[in-house]
Amino acid sequence: MYEIEISSKKDFKDVRGLNIFSEISELGIKGVEKVTYSQVYKIAGDINSLEAKTIAAELLSDKITEKTSVKTAEPSECCSLPNSFAGLQNQSLSLIEVFYKKGVTDTVAESVIKAVKDLGINKDIKASAGHRYYVYGKISQSALKNIAEKLLANTLIQEYKIF
Amino acid sequence: MKKVKALILRTAGTNCDFETQIAFELCGAQAEKVHVNALLEKKDKIFEYDIMAFPGGFSYGDDIASGKILANEVKSKLGDKIKKFALSGRPIIGVCNGFQVLVKMGLLPEPSLFEQISTLSYNDSGKFECRWVYLKTLKTQAGKNQASTNCLWTQKLPDIITLPVAHAEGKFIAKDKNLIDELEKNGQIVFKYCAQDGNIARYPLDPNGSTDQIAAICNKKGNVFGLMPHPERYVYSLQHPSREGYDGEHGWGKAIFQNAVNYVK
Repeated sequence: MYEIEISSKKDFKDVRGLNIFSEISELGIKGVEKVTYSQVYKIAGDINSLEAKTIAAELLSDKITEKTSVKTAEPSECCSLPNSFAGLQNQSLSLIEVFYKKGVTDTVAESVIKAVKDLGINKDIKASAGHRYYVYGKISQSALKNIAEKLLANTLIQEYKIF
Repeated sequence: MKKVKALILRTAGTNCDFETQIAFELCGAQAEKVHVNALLEKKDKIFEYDIMAFPGGFSYGDDIASGKILANEVKSKLGDKIKKFALSGRPIIGVCNGFQVLVKMGLLPEPSLFEQISTLSYNDSGKFECRWVYLKTLKTQAGKNQASTNCLWTQKLPDIITLPVAHAEGKFIAKDKNLIDELEKNGQIVFKYCAQDGNIARYPLDPNGSTDQIAAICNKKGNVFGLMPHPERYVYSLQHPSREGYDGEHGWGKAIFQNAVNYVK
C-alpha cells in the first residue's frame, strides 16, 4: 500500500491549516501555536512505486503550489503512527488524522480510482482519502479530542486518531 | 448566413451548462451540450463545432482539487484534439470550473506549450465566495510594459464591467514572477478585480487574493479565454441586482459571448 501525502509548498499559503487554526482560537482553546494541513490518500493494489509517484505528481497534487510525499505502508498500519509523523513527534507537536469509517462511501476515493485509470494506469486499486492536521503547541489530550470532535471530524461517519 | 455552432462540454457535476447554452443561443449560435463520454466515443466530433466552452460547476464533485479530474481526463484522452482545436484559432472559453480545467490541463496560458504553469488555488479567505464584483478590462490599459490584449472575447468592452463570482478556488497563481511579467507584456491578462472606481480592490471585492488581482487570462493569440467570474449569469439586465444593462435589456456577459459568435461569423 502507498501512502501519499499532499501539503502546501513552503512559499504558498496553507489556507486550510490557517483556517483551522483560526477556528480553534474561536473555540477558546489555548496553547495552539500553528496548524498545518495535509491531504492523505492511501492506495492499495497492483501498482509500483513509479506509478504511485506519477499518481501523486500528475493527479493528486497541484504542481505549482503543493508538494508530495510517497511512502509505502502495510495495510495493517492503518491505525499506527503515520510514516510522515515518525521522528517529528514531540511534546509540542500532535497529529490528528481523519478518515471515513468503514462502510461509509468515500466519494473522493471513488473519484481517485476513476482518475487513476484516466492517467493510463489501468490497474485495480483500492483507495481511501483522509486529512491530517499537524497541531503545534503544548496541548492536552482532552483539548485535542475537543478540536477533533468539534472541528475536524463528523464522528457519525468519520473516525479520528490522535498521535 | 453561417450558423455558428458551439460545443458545451459537460460531465458529472457541471451545473452552468444550461445557462451557457442560453447565452450562446441568445447571441445567435446553435449551442449543444455534449457529455464528455459522448465526445470520447466520437473524438473528431469536436471539429464539427466553431466554439468550445468549458462551463462552470463542480466537475466530479471538486474531488482532489477543482477541475483537476476533468482536466486530466480531457488531456489524456482528448488532448491532441483539444490542442489542435485551440491552435486552429477557434474560440474556447472556460468559466470558473472551466477556467480551472483549462489552466490545470495547460491549455492556458499557452496551448502550444500545453503544460500546467499556473494554477487556481484556494481563496485566501478559505471560504466559498459568492458576490458581484467589478472587473477592469485590460484592453484599454496598454502601457509601457503592457500590450493591449488580443482577447477576441472581450473586444469593445468598457473600462470596467461587473459580473458575479462564485468559487472557493479562484486564486490565480503563476509558477513564477517571470510568467506574470510575460502575461502582462503579451497582453494576456484580460480582467483584474477592481474597486467600483477602478482602483485596487480589497477583500471582498477581490474575492480570492489572486496575484495582481488577476480574474481572467487568455492565450497570446487571444482565442482561448478563461475567467473566474460568470458571464453567462449576466446576459440579461434582469439578472443584475439593480437591473442594469448596457442597452437596457442585456448584461455585459452577453457582449462577451457575442464577440466570439461574431468573430466566427
